[in-house]
Amino acid sequence: MKRTASMRAYPPGSLKKRLWKQRWLFVMLIPGIIWFLVFKYATYAGLALSFTNYGFRKTVSFVGLRNFQRLFKSMSFWNAFRNTLLISLYNIVFYFPFPILIALLINELRSVHTKRLVQFLIYIPYFFSWVVVGSIFVNLLSPSSGIVNQIMRSLGMESIYFMSDVRWFRKVLIAAYIWKQMGYGAVIYVATLSTVDPQLYEAAEIDGCGRFKQVIYVTLPTIRPTIMTMLLLNLSHVLMIFDQIMVMYNASVYSVSDVLQTYAYREGILTGNLGFGTAVSLFVGIISLLLVLGTNWVSKHFLEDPIL
Amino acid sequence: MLHAVSKNTIRESGARKTFRVFNVLFLTLICVVVVIPIWNVLITSLAKDQDVMGGVFLIVPPSLTFQSYARVLHSGYMRGFWNSMYVALIGTACAMTITVPLGFALAQKRLIARNFFMKLVSLTLVFDAGIMPLYVLIRSLGLIDNRWSLILPFMLSSFNLIIVKNFMMSIPESFVESAWLDGCNDLMALVRIVIPMSVPILAAVTLFYFVSFWNRYTEAVMFINNSSKYTLQVMLRALIYQSDGSLGEGNVVYDNTKMAVMVLGMLPVMLIYPFVQRHFVSGLMLGGVKG
Repeated sequence: MKRTASMRAYPPGSLKKRLWKQRWLFVMLIPGIIWFLVFKYATYAGLALSFTNYGFRKTVSFVGLRNFQRLFKSMSFWNAFRNTLLISLYNIVFYFPFPILIALLINELRSVHTKRLVQFLIYIPYFFSWVVVGSIFVNLLSPSSGIVNQIMRSLGMESIYFMSDVRWFRKVLIAAYIWKQMGYGAVIYVATLSTVDPQLYEAAEIDGCGRFKQVIYVTLPTIRPTIMTMLLLNLSHVLMIFDQIMVMYNASVYSVSDVLQTYAYREGILTGNLGFGTAVSLFVGIISLLLVLGTNWVSKHFLEDPIL
Repeated sequence: MLHAVSKNTIRESGARKTFRVFNVLFLTLICVVVVIPIWNVLITSLAKDQDVMGGVFLIVPPSLTFQSYARVLHSGYMRGFWNSMYVALIGTACAMTITVPLGFALAQKRLIARNFFMKLVSLTLVFDAGIMPLYVLIRSLGLIDNRWSLILPFMLSSFNLIIVKNFMMSIPESFVESAWLDGCNDLMALVRIVIPMSVPILAAVTLFYFVSFWNRYTEAVMFINNSSKYTLQVMLRALIYQSDGSLGEGNVVYDNTKMAVMVLGMLPVMLIYPFVQRHFVSGLMLGGVKG
């Protein structure tokens, strides 16, 4: 059947003949593939520099694992590693459930117009750059004129220097992350929620489930694949956190906000020790890969839901 | 669905009503938290100097003047604006010319070695080499301090590519085949048949690309050292975090002027957003499903 249906698509004859038939497809394909080879696969090959002393000297020589030995002995590396893990963990715990909750609440709204309006509004910050979001938070949290400190003062509390206080800075990072990203997640979940079969709710109601139980037993299981995909997407870049930190951190909060990527940037690019910086990049890449493959494995074995 | 809703309204309990009220209040609060800071930026940028002196958080507009915009228009920030425009426009154009044909080719099941090419693409979704190898690559290509360093490495996003590919896979093969019968080759079939059918999704992808080019910060800091080539985001970060005094009299930059630069920094994206917004959801759903 396949043969007759797509005779034209799979013409008989040699590979050469088929390639000639598809020449235009290859004309379209090749620029993109070249791009992948140059800007993705060449950077993978570039990771080999982490085994060299590339950067300072004119001649590049192989130094084995020396960069990694230095890396694992460095206090600031472990500090950056710890900060990366902590910020990622906070991100998963505090940010990740938020869009799901918002989407469930939006779904409970009756008017289609209100639903659309709420989504339209909360999606806006997703399109702002980190610089704009960072500036907005500087504005909001300013000790003198920021609205947060004004409210706190009117309640009789002391002003807090949120952006330069080591006890507060990571909380500010997560709050800014939630502010910028929640609409993106919520919009995806709302779209998935609209695909849930209404008959399932009716059946659950007949079985005596209230609205809350319906959410637990009908809604959440139906949107589970989306939740898992979003979790995986989140995990795949959570350790790569960079832009936000580069924009928002300052010298007074380095100790709590220096992450692996900013560490690589400072050691590799600002100091000029490119081989060493690449070693940091390789380390982040591998940990990130393990995290993604691990989540996929868990999802496949325990939820029978492979994502990749 | 309608049926279910009407049934609920008939026997709506007290608890349900309370929930509904709290739900509306909570979502309103969320919207206020999103909107107020943006509103504040907008009205501060439109306020007179004397209304923002000493630092206040404005919610009610005290005055309406384009004074600070006039100041920004005659400052070095416009060069940043045009640098960003250059990168974003050329970048988006290049990105679309490379993404759409690749997405189309990968969407054709008859493509020779299609699985191999798909693997080549999807592997890059799982593993990222990080910033250092990219920096080394840009340096060895001699692109440091060149605006193309902000275009070339970001001309393809696997996420956008998969959106385009998945959408084009949903177009029946018979459309392309009928174009062949009219004497079209694959490229002409793409241009004449497939692209016109994909306009909404391509609009969303175009905006995704534009936003990514316009908003890019870290790489601009890493690759561009020459201040005449700074993008607006880099200049804005410097302005907010360490006032450089090129805008005010003496060394004072008033908040209204800072906010005007900020509005400039989000303007292009905000102008397109309302028109393309309704296409996003389908785009994101296509990107989210398995590649």
